[in-house]
Amino acid sequence: MELLQCIDLNKSFGEKQILKNINLTIPRGKIIGLLGKNGTGKSTLIKLINDLLTISSGQILINGKPIGVESKKIISYLPERTYLDKGMTVEKTIKYFANFYENFDSEKAYKLLEDLGLDANQKLAKMSKGMQEKVQLILVMSRKADLYILDEPLGGVDPATRDYILDTILTNFNDGASVIISTHLISDVERILDNVIFIDKGQIILTAEADELRNREDASIDEIFRRMFKC
Amino acid sequence: MLGKLLKYDLKSIFKLLIIFYTLSMLFGLLTRVFFSFRNSLVLEILGEISQGAAISMMCSTLINNIMRMWVRFKTHFYGDESYLTHTLPVEKRTHYLSKILTTVITLFVSFAVICLVLFTAYYSKENLLFFKNLLLPLVEIYDSTILGIIASFVFILFLEFINILQCGFTGIILGNRKNNAKTGFSVLFGAAAFFVSQVIIIAVLFLIAIFNKDFMNLFVTNNVMEIQTIKIMIYVSISCYTLVSLLICYINIRLFKKGVDVD
Repeated sequence: MELLQCIDLNKSFGEKQILKNINLTIPRGKIIGLLGKNGTGKSTLIKLINDLLTISSGQILINGKPIGVESKKIISYLPERTYLDKGMTVEKTIKYFANFYENFDSEKAYKLLEDLGLDANQKLAKMSKGMQEKVQLILVMSRKADLYILDEPLGGVDPATRDYILDTILTNFNDGASVIISTHLISDVERILDNVIFIDKGQIILTAEADELRNREDASIDEIFRRMFKC
Repeated sequence: MLGKLLKYDLKSIFKLLIIFYTLSMLFGLLTRVFFSFRNSLVLEILGEISQGAAISMMCSTLINNIMRMWVRFKTHFYGDESYLTHTLPVEKRTHYLSKILTTVITLFVSFAVICLVLFTAYYSKENLLFFKNLLLPLVEIYDSTILGIIASFVFILFLEFINILQCGFTGIILGNRKNNAKTGFSVLFGAAAFFVSQVIIIAVLFLIAIFNKDFMNLFVTNNVMEIQTIKIMIYVSISCYTLVSLLICYINIRLFKKGVDVD
């Protein structure tokens, strides 16, 4: 059974259609890049998978079942914005995650915090946006999930930290799990991708294995992307 | 999961309300202290000021209780925090019930604190006697006890608050389905939901009145009704209010289960 399937998926806001007839399958054990320019529907697709938007038509199946409590147990999602209760300390936030997610590993979270030099007793409100994003990444990667969905994990982060974030993702995701990384910063993530999905104007225009695509086009994914989406 | 959600919701609401509880108690206490010195004009003025402050704090407690619940509902289900709320492995119905139970518990505590403040500020044998005498005609009219009268009044007020709160939730759920002017639509839909709930209650009373001549007098004459009729009407109204509250709760859960569109 496929981990994630989108079947004839459509999403509209009023008259405006954002996603058009998306058909997509995500296999297990792969790192997949969901690549596209800004405003092409990447985040909308991710929000639909995470039950943050209602489907206009079509279906999303996780392990063969519609989105619901069971799918939320196995999906670990990092949104592009800071979403934690800023009145809480990092420690309380870790307790919160441990309370609600059975697959949350508190020890791993504390270890990652230490590695990053973050103070568990500090309130999130007192932290910079970058620090809060790091805390969020730690919380998401400390879950033993089947599917990690990371929406623009490198957005607004300096190049040195980008490498650290990518290494954290690479070394911390659960064995046999898949990772979907949505980004427009392709050159930064290219090295870790197994598969790529190109999305434009709400439609999937290409799905391929990263190595196969590179060999076929004799170019990097970044170059292929630039060629395809040239303004 | 309901227990866990409830714990966090209660903590968040009480964190604010505790300020109003403390200030209400403080001003209640000051009112008592200042009014105990009747021979000083300055202390009497200070007593009046404390009394005003205590009353305004008690009102603020109730208003903030409701407002804070609306704000929490909006930020949790439609604000930035909704990215966490909706990705928790929890049923939407459980999320909604947690908010309702939080309101019931916090309102109950707020009412209890208000009673305590009133007791602290005004309790004396004379005041108690005055209060009893004030309620005695009502006790005789309704063939009840003083405690029964107070309990009925508080219960109706409680139902009214729950009803207002849930209509606000309905407004927020429906308003956030719109693509633009979500806050404006939330207020509009909330007011509409409250209006509809009141119309339903009156409609039910009118339906009963069709089969009850004494009830019909309420709608077609200015005559004072029989005590027995008034009593039945109060019971019917309380029942209607409870049913309408349950109906709104059911509708809100159904609406909520259909999913949300988070910005």
